[in-house]
Amino acid sequence: MRVITVFIVTLSGLAILSGYFLTDLFPVLAEVQTQILNVAITLAGVAMLVGIFNLVSVHTDKVRRSQKGGVYSALLVISLLITLVLGIILRPGHVAMQAVVNGIIIPTESALMGILTISLLYAAIRLLRRRVDVMSIIFLLTAAIILFGSATLPFGDIPLLGDFARWWSQVWALGGMRGILIGVGLGALTTGLRVLFGADRPYGGS
Amino acid sequence: MLISADLINLVTGLISFLFTLLIFSYVLGDNPLFRIAVYIFVGVSAGYIAAVTWWQVIMPRLVYPLMSAIASGNMLDLGLMLALLFAAFLLLTKASPHLSGMGRIVVAFLVGVGAAVTLAGALIGTLIPQVLGTINAFDMTFVSGKDIGYFIEAISNSVIILVGTVLTLSYFHFGARPKADGSMRRLGLIEALAWGGRIFIGIALGAVFAGVYAAALTALIERISSLINFILELLGKFQ
Repeated sequence: MRVITVFIVTLSGLAILSGYFLTDLFPVLAEVQTQILNVAITLAGVAMLVGIFNLVSVHTDKVRRSQKGGVYSALLVISLLITLVLGIILRPGHVAMQAVVNGIIIPTESALMGILTISLLYAAIRLLRRRVDVMSIIFLLTAAIILFGSATLPFGDIPLLGDFARWWSQVWALGGMRGILIGVGLGALTTGLRVLFGADRPYGGS
Repeated sequence: MLISADLINLVTGLISFLFTLLIFSYVLGDNPLFRIAVYIFVGVSAGYIAAVTWWQVIMPRLVYPLMSAIASGNMLDLGLMLALLFAAFLLLTKASPHLSGMGRIVVAFLVGVGAAVTLAGALIGTLIPQVLGTINAFDMTFVSGKDIGYFIEAISNSVIILVGTVLTLSYFHFGARPKADGSMRRLGLIEALAWGGRIFIGIALGAVFAGVYAAALTALIERISSLINFILELLGKFQ
């Protein structure tokens, strides 16, 4: 089984990669890549449903066992099932479904994002109290410079701060961010290669 | 019976108002009202995503083509769609702990495709553009014919970006050699470069923090203004 799964990973991965890099030599590979991606999108959709089924089963289990927080789990399952049934009967574009999106999903996401303001401020204060070193001071100073340099303040702009903040973020921060991005890219590249060659098997099969 | 747009707007506004207040109650600490809102939000979001997946992925890519292949009698199409249906069935077995092994082949296929897309995306979308961006910063054609001051400013900015990139990458270099006492340490030069890299990482993360904070602040202001507007609209309706 292990050999078969590694063979499938390598074959499907190489087919996709050849669609990216060898289409000039073999134009048919682009069509092969599109077909494989279409199949993968369909199966990813099924995987999404499996994931949601798993969410329902975990929370139903919590309710059945009367575990702590079971009431919240019951609310989650009920709201999920009502939305799912309505969505399948009415379709997601229906006015009732749009009311669900505009009344619950978007305001809650936005409010959670708003709450982040307080959490981030609290985290910044804690950082200053618990760990005062060069890195944390530079981190908070940069954040303050960029925030005050780009915000419209009630008493007017602080002289030179806007220009300095722009230079600081577009030159100094860009250097660090570019290094982080290249590091992340290299990490993704090596992880992808390890998976394609079967060194890592996140799909199971030790 | 048709529901008027005004009534829908009122109900949507009321629910939105209620959920915003429930979420904002977190300011007082983690409490049951906040949890109720979050659990309902997760349930509704998951249900909505499942419905969207059903109508925009499963039906048009699996069910309709299968029905069309059956209706047309095209054996090749029918065979392909049945194979896809079988793969979907194998994937569904992942929901059961006893049968989950059956879905391993399909998961392997998805992992292979995902790894290849990630690999190509990292190369084409991140590595090559970022390296080119660092190199192209030294292209001084745009300052030709301008003051020497522009040239010095442009070249010094490019040098800062290059130094920042190299130092930050040095920070992520974890190759180490064993010392006489058995401990593992990086080379002294790498350690020094990595220290400089920490400064640039601090600056970069500070800039990200400022961006996230500004976005969060915008969301907070939008929510507070929506609460005020809803109350004012409600007062206007009853006057």
